[in-house]
Amino acid sequence: MACGTKHATRGVVTGTSVGPDVAALADRVRMARAENTTLRVVAAGTWLDAGRPCAAAEHLNVRSLSGIVDYEPGDLTLTAKAATSLDEIARVTATQGQWLPLQPMGAAEGTLGATVATASAGPLASAFGMPRDHVLGCEFVSGTGDVVRAGGRVVKNVAGFDLVRLMTGAWGTLGVLTEITVRLRALPEQDLTLVVPLPTRGGADSVQVAWSWLRQSDYTPLAAELLSASLAQGLDVASEPCLLVRLGGNVSFVRAAEGDAATIGDLRRIDSNIWKRLAVQEPAPSIVMRFSTLPSRIPSLWALVSDACERAGGYAHATISRGVVRCVLPASTDAAANSLLGEMLVGLATGYTAVGERLPATAWDALARTRLTNPLARGVRRAFDPDHIMNAHILGVTS
Amino acid sequence: MSSALASRLATIVGGTRVLSREGELRAYESDGLPGYRARPSIAVFPGSRAEVVAVVRLLAETGSQFVARGAGTGLSGGALAEDVVLLGLHRLRRIVSIDAENARAVVEPGVVNALLTRAAAPYGLYYAPDPSSQTACTIGGNVAENAGGPHCLKYGVTLNHVLALTVVLPNGEVLSLGNAEGEHDGYDFLGAFVGSEGCFGVVLDATVRLLRNPSAIRTLLADFESIGAAARAVSAIIGSGIVAAALEMMDAATIQAVEASIYAAGYPTDAAAILLIELDGALAGLDEDVIRVSQFCRAAGARKVRVAADPDDRARLWQGRKKAFGAMGRVSSHLVVQDAVVPRTRLPEILAKISEIGTRQRVNVCNVFHAGDGNLHPNIGYNANDPDESSRVEVAMREIMRACIEAGGTITGEHGIGLDKLPYMEALFTAPTLGAMCALRDVFDPEHRANPGKVVPVHSCREWHAVPSTRRGAS
Repeated sequence: MACGTKHATRGVVTGTSVGPDVAALADRVRMARAENTTLRVVAAGTWLDAGRPCAAAEHLNVRSLSGIVDYEPGDLTLTAKAATSLDEIARVTATQGQWLPLQPMGAAEGTLGATVATASAGPLASAFGMPRDHVLGCEFVSGTGDVVRAGGRVVKNVAGFDLVRLMTGAWGTLGVLTEITVRLRALPEQDLTLVVPLPTRGGADSVQVAWSWLRQSDYTPLAAELLSASLAQGLDVASEPCLLVRLGGNVSFVRAAEGDAATIGDLRRIDSNIWKRLAVQEPAPSIVMRFSTLPSRIPSLWALVSDACERAGGYAHATISRGVVRCVLPASTDAAANSLLGEMLVGLATGYTAVGERLPATAWDALARTRLTNPLARGVRRAFDPDHIMNAHILGVTS
Repeated sequence: MSSALASRLATIVGGTRVLSREGELRAYESDGLPGYRARPSIAVFPGSRAEVVAVVRLLAETGSQFVARGAGTGLSGGALAEDVVLLGLHRLRRIVSIDAENARAVVEPGVVNALLTRAAAPYGLYYAPDPSSQTACTIGGNVAENAGGPHCLKYGVTLNHVLALTVVLPNGEVLSLGNAEGEHDGYDFLGAFVGSEGCFGVVLDATVRLLRNPSAIRTLLADFESIGAAARAVSAIIGSGIVAAALEMMDAATIQAVEASIYAAGYPTDAAAILLIELDGALAGLDEDVIRVSQFCRAAGARKVRVAADPDDRARLWQGRKKAFGAMGRVSSHLVVQDAVVPRTRLPEILAKISEIGTRQRVNVCNVFHAGDGNLHPNIGYNANDPDESSRVEVAMREIMRACIEAGGTITGEHGIGLDKLPYMEALFTAPTLGAMCALRDVFDPEHRANPGKVVPVHSCREWHAVPSTRRGAS
């Protein structure tokens, strides 16, 4: 987990760094359980205010659980300790013409463990899916202090109940991930990024054109991301709302796909580093909410959210085929401003799914529902972390 | 007690939809895998979602164990148990809706896999997971087993295609898992439910992703003089980054069985192995990939690589593959269909090992499998009435499973654990891991009434949840 240390002052009094030894980590968790000490899992600490405020007495620093354990290029699988950075994985796999096409929002020094624990994704999810679609196996220390090895290292596996999916997106509340095996892909022979400025201020009509292209074109892109005007300007790619299209494949495919994408609007090629720049664009103290719906309703959701975000001094971007609009607003410490923002966000969310991604500590309860509404959640929490010592409250409070 | 329960069930579903006589129940005492028989005490066949919920609630009230069943095509001895209520779901076969624009469908659990694709066809869409039994097996069963199929190499298994489920838990509670209209937030109970082999509850409806039909398809048949050469071709293709829609291997025994059957596909009967390779997608760039794949095959030693001439030729090539199990059934009275996965780089050595085991145990192993995923199906035809042969088949299967585990693989890629793979679970997973699986099942079904005795050996469920040692006063 990438819960950070710098801003995480909410009741945290001490920190424990564990060595690269999983058994020692398990001992620490068992001890904490016996002492009723609440723990907050910390690795790179790059994503400081993600998740609800943790009520933790102690940081469990797992940064030393880092490094690639096993990489077999011929199998397109890689096993790494949980605190291995995405950057390191990208560097090592690129030497073999491969990649882990996750690239979630945030800095690449973020860890694989945090990405999986928070089920974080980025624009590539439209082609390659979410972390749950990439993870083949994992090792974790549960809140009971047991070392569990779930899944495996092969690309197809239905042996036993699926603890891998359970841990993916559990935000470290059931246990701390220590090792993860992922499926890799070959880097595309050609990787081309296009920008298509959208007329009529990126309103519903032009977004509809982009959606229609995505749904009907033969050339499924690796990513297709809408940017609001100020984001496009901030990244210096356009002066108005635009669509970024990332095409991957062999030379003939990419050439034909580029021609086909021209039916959306006037396009031009840009440097593919735009995706890295997009991932780290937002200032750390931002407020981030995601709204999602059926892809076909993206044009109307986009019109609503991007306008509102821009008016509030923020920006928005959307992964069209996933039906997700991500709204980034400047953080404010002013209670009245937060209250206004709250009303706006709740208003926006009506009829859509709203997920809080990063919010001021005081705003979580007002702006985001608890993630533990499912009656099964209480049971799974009781089973894997009976004393609620792991990242307590990060998903909200169970009743 | 059984007849009292049968009467109460009859008030929910009607008298003709409840079976309790021994002769009537015989059809439900096994699934697609020979060797396991267990007769339920009652079989009940609800016809609507409301009836399913009412039945499950009655079973909860009476503390009755039950096994949900779709078409009974499973290959792990999963959909059967002695003296339980068998809950047949094949009457729930409504395709509730198809949303062509968003490429998804809502279906009831008894919808037959291939019929969903047929219903989606007018919209230019199809349902990707395609188990060989797809003309009979149901979506509910596919969800329970996290079913795969040849085209899962490129498009993913059932898990990757289910967006949301409505389920009834064994206690009768109806829940929605996942989110059909946006992001899911919170624990991935949908992911946990898919592949839970009927131990977590019963699917009432599933929202599944549909894919657009590819605009171009190329199906290649490559034949080899050795299995090792075919395996090397597989490694070369996978390593190149070309993602084939399917990459299937069949060995000589399988080829001969297919060619001697009504499913004859024109495979070369003198080949030691063939690869059936499918590439699909946009037309642009596809033929370059065909050329590269052909080159990989030839470099690995293929005698001949040919591309299916037309859709009929393609269908014929695929029919041979999909009906291979059926073709083997003609050769022997019984067929044990196995399922295991190894890392793809280990295929040549594991295939050699399987051949060695077969020779040593004097059994005929036929290999027909998803080579691109490393998902093996070593099958052995035999006569189950011959105790000596049956015993040698059993020993061979155990050795094959052990070899796959030792090669860093797993004991099932798509058929599930059921009863058949239970004995291998402790070789594959540590005690705390099995304990964690039991703990997860307890969340869904604390009384273990849904498909009892499957997936995790009962005795593995003891050592979880220990009070920390320091609380017990130890060090």
